[in-house]
Amino acid sequence: MPTPSETEKPPLLPSWRAWYWLVLGALAVEVGLFTYLTQLFAS
Amino acid sequence: MSLLDWLVLGGTLLFIVGYGTWRTRRAGHTMDSYLLGDRQAQWWGIGLSIIATQASAITFLSTPGQAYDDGMRFIQFYFGLPLAMVLIAVFAVPIYQRLQVFTAYEYLEGRFDRRTRTLAAVLFLVQRGLSNGLSLYAPALVLSAILGWNINLTVWLIGGLMIFYTVAGGTQAVAVTQQWQVGVIFTGMVVAGYLLVHYLPADMGFTEAMQVAGSQGKLNLVDFHFDPNDRYNFWSGMTGGLFLALSYFGTDQSQVQRYLAGRDITESRLGLLMNGLVKVPMQFGILLIGVLLFVFYQFNAPPLTFNRPVHDQVAQSAEHGPSLRALEDKHCQLFAAKRAANTQLVEALRSHDGSQLAAAQTQVQASNTATRALRTEAQALLKKAAPSAEAKDTDYVFLTFVLRYLPQGLVGLLIAVVLSAAMGSAASGLNALASTTVVDLYRPSRPHLSGSHCVQASRWATIAWGVLGIGFATFAARLENLIQAVNILGSLFYGTILGIFVVAFFMKSIGGKAVFWAAVLAEIIVLLLFWLTDIGYLWFNIIGCALVMVIAACYQRLAPSSN
Repeated sequence: MPTPSETEKPPLLPSWRAWYWLVLGALAVEVGLFTYLTQLFAS
Repeated sequence: MSLLDWLVLGGTLLFIVGYGTWRTRRAGHTMDSYLLGDRQAQWWGIGLSIIATQASAITFLSTPGQAYDDGMRFIQFYFGLPLAMVLIAVFAVPIYQRLQVFTAYEYLEGRFDRRTRTLAAVLFLVQRGLSNGLSLYAPALVLSAILGWNINLTVWLIGGLMIFYTVAGGTQAVAVTQQWQVGVIFTGMVVAGYLLVHYLPADMGFTEAMQVAGSQGKLNLVDFHFDPNDRYNFWSGMTGGLFLALSYFGTDQSQVQRYLAGRDITESRLGLLMNGLVKVPMQFGILLIGVLLFVFYQFNAPPLTFNRPVHDQVAQSAEHGPSLRALEDKHCQLFAAKRAANTQLVEALRSHDGSQLAAAQTQVQASNTATRALRTEAQALLKKAAPSAEAKDTDYVFLTFVLRYLPQGLVGLLIAVVLSAAMGSAASGLNALASTTVVDLYRPSRPHLSGSHCVQASRWATIAWGVLGIGFATFAARLENLIQAVNILGSLFYGTILGIFVVAFFMKSIGGKAVFWAAVLAEIIVLLLFWLTDIGYLWFNIIGCALVMVIAACYQRLAPSSN
């Protein structure tokens, strides 16, 4: 049985799933930005 | 170092240690209080503790030097970390928090049996006990080389202060001091980065500095080509880096203890996710300082080698001194040509003249190739003249710049950054070693012991591991290439420990006997592979984990009744 704090909503975002996607989305943006910078300055 | 530097350095360190000890003067009457700070930590405190635990002194000494030498591709090593934070937040945190365990290994007894718990705890103690000693030795080595400090005294200074506040206030003292240590670290690195940009040639902006670095291959942030022998590309970061982060943050007590101290699942999860959001940009910033150092030294003469003591030792030798001086004269001439080529490159970038730019880039590349060949030749000479010395000098690049170019007061601040990072990460390790020793090895066979007795035992275990770490660090000076050896040692054990936890979390039908013998066999196979093959050590995390899972599943299938 999950405890109350496992099922309660996290702060700021509507769900834990939203938090996880925020972290993974930030990583995707960073990789995209780094790829752009690599190509921009390599040329 | 000037008097002002000593005042800044001493004042910073004594304030952090004094404040941490005073703030936690009433902590530590129960095991919950001493080992987990009464489980009252909030997400931001957990996040800062996790960051301070991972960022050791060598992070701030080696990483800028690595970017100076090899560009920014090291950042790919951290691409697996945010994903690992999410996986640990989803799967591990609820289990640890629900069971209210003191250590990660305590959970294994309930899930499997006591000997599996003991095996995982012993593997952790061996690996962390050695690497904790090294995290004291590595900064002491560099500081003693550059500042002329006595290496053993430096180790005792860092280790003694750290033992003092960790014994006094336990986990809470470690957490409180880490919050201030992270503040000092960020302040110091931002100041160093700002001054580096400020010290670039008067008419050169940040963008032009990046163009100069990029044209010389230093902004090689992402490489999507798969090469199993290349430690730093996107795919190795998302596989080897992911498994290393899962092992380190999910099963290493020095990290697990940071988020076990959380008030509830929400605080622990948010602390981990904060680390997932901050870590890659933070490493980017530290590597960027290394790239700015590279640009700075395109217009200001760098030494032939940044490892000054080895240079001075060889320069005084009758046999090799003249050869070294000849190389230095050649280095001066090469630098003049390189500076001229880089000045032309900047002018070409401004004029947007394609042919002028191509010609300037060709010249810069030619002078870089010649400089690199000369530095390689110099390192070979240093190695020949002083075989026991470390000829590789990337660990010394950043601190050499700090001492030579930063104004009074800021040198003390940057040395405080290095010492704060050393104490912050080693204190977490020390705290975890003591917890694991008492909770997983001492207490299980003595169920009648009182809480206050266990707290006292934890204090003594902290002192014992601290003194052992200092002893190992002072002994380490006699062993060559020890840092790499201990890093490899970590990878040899991490995979097996992670495998035990993966089986515990996800393979519910497998019992204690199967996982214990699978772990023993997997560890033997990993050690044999290490000795008999030249597989990169990052891959042992994946191999060890997979072996435990496969062998345990096979054992369970072949002998289900024995579990």
